[in-house]
Amino acid sequence: MRTTAGTSRPRTKIPPTRTTMPVIPVIAVLLLLLAGCSGGGAADDGRITLRFQSLAWQEESVAVSKELVAEWNTAHPDIRVEYVQGSWDSVHDQLLTSFEGGEAPDIIHDASDDLADFAYGGYLADLTELLPGRLRSDIPARSWETVTFEDGIYGVPFLQEPRVLIADAELLDEAGVRVPTVERPWSWAEFRQVTKELSGPGRYGVAWPLKEPVSASLNLSLSTGGQLFHRGADGKVTVRFEAGDEVVPRTIHDQVNTDRSASATTLGSGGSDTLPGFFAGKYAMVPLGFSYRQQIEQQAPEGFDWRVLPAPAGEDGLIQGVSPQTLSVAAESPHKKEAAAFVDFLLRPHNMVRLALGDWMLPTGSAALRDPALRTREDGWAVGTALAGRLRSAPAQSVRGYPEWKDKVATPAFQEYYSGAIGLGELRERLEEDGNLVLDRYQR
Amino acid sequence: MRTSARVRGLQYTALLAYLVFLAFPFLWLLSTAFKPPRELAGLHPTWIPEDPTLANFRQAFDEQPLLHAALNSLLAAVGAAVIAVLVATPLAYVMARYRSRLTAAATGWVVVSQAFPFVLVIIPLFLVLKNLRLIDSVPGLVTVYVVWALPFALWMLTGYVRAVPRELEEAAAVDGAGKLRTLVSVTAPLLAPGIVATALFAFITAWNEFFFALVLLKTPEKQTLPVVLTHFIGAEGVADLGPLAAAAFLATLPSLLVFALIQRRITGGMLTGAVKS
Amino acid sequence: MVPPTEARVREPGRGAPGPGRPPRAGGPGAWFLVLPALIPILVLSVGPLLYGVSLAFTDAQSGRTEPTQWIGGLNFQDLLHDTLFWESFRIGLVWAVGVTVPQFLLALGLALLLDQELRLRWLARALAIIPWAMPEVVVGIMWRLVYNPDAGILNETLRDLGLGDGRDWLSGLATALPAVIVVGVWAGLPQTTVALLAGLQNTPRELHEAAAVDGAGAWRRFRTVTWPALRPVALSITALNLIWNFNSFALVYVLTGGGPGGRTRLPMLFAYEEAFRYGQFGYAAAMGCVMVAVISVLLAVFLAGRLRGGEDA
Repeated sequence: MRTTAGTSRPRTKIPPTRTTMPVIPVIAVLLLLLAGCSGGGAADDGRITLRFQSLAWQEESVAVSKELVAEWNTAHPDIRVEYVQGSWDSVHDQLLTSFEGGEAPDIIHDASDDLADFAYGGYLADLTELLPGRLRSDIPARSWETVTFEDGIYGVPFLQEPRVLIADAELLDEAGVRVPTVERPWSWAEFRQVTKELSGPGRYGVAWPLKEPVSASLNLSLSTGGQLFHRGADGKVTVRFEAGDEVVPRTIHDQVNTDRSASATTLGSGGSDTLPGFFAGKYAMVPLGFSYRQQIEQQAPEGFDWRVLPAPAGEDGLIQGVSPQTLSVAAESPHKKEAAAFVDFLLRPHNMVRLALGDWMLPTGSAALRDPALRTREDGWAVGTALAGRLRSAPAQSVRGYPEWKDKVATPAFQEYYSGAIGLGELRERLEEDGNLVLDRYQR
Repeated sequence: MRTSARVRGLQYTALLAYLVFLAFPFLWLLSTAFKPPRELAGLHPTWIPEDPTLANFRQAFDEQPLLHAALNSLLAAVGAAVIAVLVATPLAYVMARYRSRLTAAATGWVVVSQAFPFVLVIIPLFLVLKNLRLIDSVPGLVTVYVVWALPFALWMLTGYVRAVPRELEEAAAVDGAGKLRTLVSVTAPLLAPGIVATALFAFITAWNEFFFALVLLKTPEKQTLPVVLTHFIGAEGVADLGPLAAAAFLATLPSLLVFALIQRRITGGMLTGAVKS
Repeated sequence: MVPPTEARVREPGRGAPGPGRPPRAGGPGAWFLVLPALIPILVLSVGPLLYGVSLAFTDAQSGRTEPTQWIGGLNFQDLLHDTLFWESFRIGLVWAVGVTVPQFLLALGLALLLDQELRLRWLARALAIIPWAMPEVVVGIMWRLVYNPDAGILNETLRDLGLGDGRDWLSGLATALPAVIVVGVWAGLPQTTVALLAGLQNTPRELHEAAAVDGAGAWRRFRTVTWPALRPVALSITALNLIWNFNSFALVYVLTGGGPGGRTRLPMLFAYEEAFRYGQFGYAAAMGCVMVAVISVLLAVFLAGRLRGGEDA
């Protein structure tokens, strides 16, 4: 407790006051309030109430989610769904303690790379038998892969976003560089060259917002054949940082430290932190998640012209790792079947399109993906949709202990490497040696 | 004692530097709270908003359930303050007036509890409260706050009790008043200002508390203000500076007001001199 | 924390029993007064503490699939090899000392100024309420706004002064820890100042004047008159600050969340994550035990120092 009762100095006499505290009314009110608070059980009239914790945060997507819940409630008076607003920021800690405390919501919105520990911990329901065939066949196998742990399916992947390059169209045209397309993307070497050309006094060719450097590095490394996590014959996973894993990190490192074509100050920033500089012409390009287009569209100054470009490609083409957003059902929920039915309702093709538009992301469902609203050239939708087929399960997300490896070992190691504090050799050493120590603790 | 003009000048310069250091972050918070989004996205921020707006305050209320969170905070803080004072005052009286092994142990606990890393308490407490089904509820949080506010409340109240002249109680006893009557009619009124100050202080600490609330409250609509505020900072991209500043400013007001009320009590003891006259 | 009434020591009835009134352990009446506080203390403070210590010897973790087992000292053995934890411990000590020492020096300076007959003292007093009363979360948010690389006032001021383009203070590997330390100093300055000021105002003014008449310079007056009187207060507040700072959580949680790359991951943050993010309750409890051990040593040093200080005075 950070409190200090002050020291006193001897004072002159203070006359004793006769104030009597209105203690009794205060307590009475308090008890009433407390009672009102702890009460409130479920009404016992055969109606079911399900709690759906959504992590939607952009105004539009919150509105869509709430609308969908309302529509469900109108159609199903017996199964009421209650919308609970969660937050991406702390969702893992929040869910872990809610599961432990037996207070978890019935339907849980999360991302596939966050599910492994919950699935292995027995907190999530296996949906294999609960989902209708329509949904199972609508979402492609490569997406189901992201939520399959051992033999169970512990969530439904429904929204995903590729990482794209958002470019200042004017600067791009001025420099006269070749504009990449999904058919003919830049290679990583070409990308490095282009950023050099785009740099100038007071301007960087690119600003990498790498507050979360691990998922960015690993997901983009799929394009150059990076694997990093290797499952041995005994089923144990070990980390090996090989040639295919090096290309992307080295490119970024060299842009920052050798060419000075990438800003060093944004390495610790989140995506939105780079936008003021982007709008001001300080950065020609920013690699961002597809959904950032919404913020750009909202905040860009009048007349600012921007373009969505595919991320650079490696030997394996434009392949990228993603961790889709997911909907799961709590193992403790007494109404798993109803919860699964609600998930199915939310993810009907038409509804999936609405959710995708609300979040400015791509739906996983193949029916939803065909919707013309998602194929317009406006705001770069078409570029993203063209990339949808190239999105794979992010490496490592089924590895137990990955979150701790990521936070404690990989994040600092990558950050120090990108800022130039350590070299590639030490990066490899830390990812492998320190990393395998952590993974071992989970695989005993 | 006279001080030379040069020394005075230096002193004022130093004082001014302190004033600036203490005030500027808060002024910046205010300035940010009144700036429109376009101005915040610009590269050259100014002290005075060029185009001041109240929109941030409105947005803050729209985006996060601030009012509800404030109500939760109020409930937790008032509950903790009232209960803490109710249970602490009798013990503080005993600690101040009698010497026994028990009072020694209680004093020891007060000192030692300052040194606990909360984490060693919160893990088992979390598991215990889980079994009592008190996780994720404001009453559960109040319980924790009471225990957490106790050492400090005891410390303060013991001091206040000691400052009530024992002679007054003895005089009342000589006059034939019973023990209980003495307590109620002689000691309690003298102690009242101290009790109020202690309660208000406990209120502020509970209102401001973050760690226990973070661990114990999971359902968004049950969370207290500090926890909800951290959601404003949010994950990537959620950082909407204007509403964040507006909400942070509003959350501070109650503490500031209450603190201004009791500052004198906190910084100067009560009734210390009474016994001497 | 400084007791509300330093003067109480000289009060009749405490220490030396007053005439005809031996201190006595209360009868049943006293128990009645004590129980309301005693029960919650035992159930929710002492009990959990013991439970926590015992957890450190188990493999308790989240998940419904595996039962908890006694594993003896395995957690401590793991901890011994956990370089990240010791790094975090080192950061915790740097942070605690880095905050406490400047805090004390700055507070002493301010207290000495406020002890003078200066104008604007009321303003300092009013402003001091802000850091003191403000929720730590808000302090963190506020300084994030100050440190914000583009919209923050710090970088803008630097740019105006022509001192370069500024930087991203809270996410720079080299600047993050110093940046949060500044916030820590700011947040704790008022209460340290008030404690010291109270101590100052307890020093006998006559002594000061006598020394001045003797022609003692300001520094000598401070050393021979002020400091001896201030010492006990200074010692207590510093030791307590050290402990509080070592245990602090909310400020850094809000400012950096322990980043970048763990450069500001204080031990409390580390243990919190281990318990409530990765669900390793037993391992986290072991960390708590180690922290208690270290703090106990600090506390012992503090008490020993305080006792010595008491003899001097």
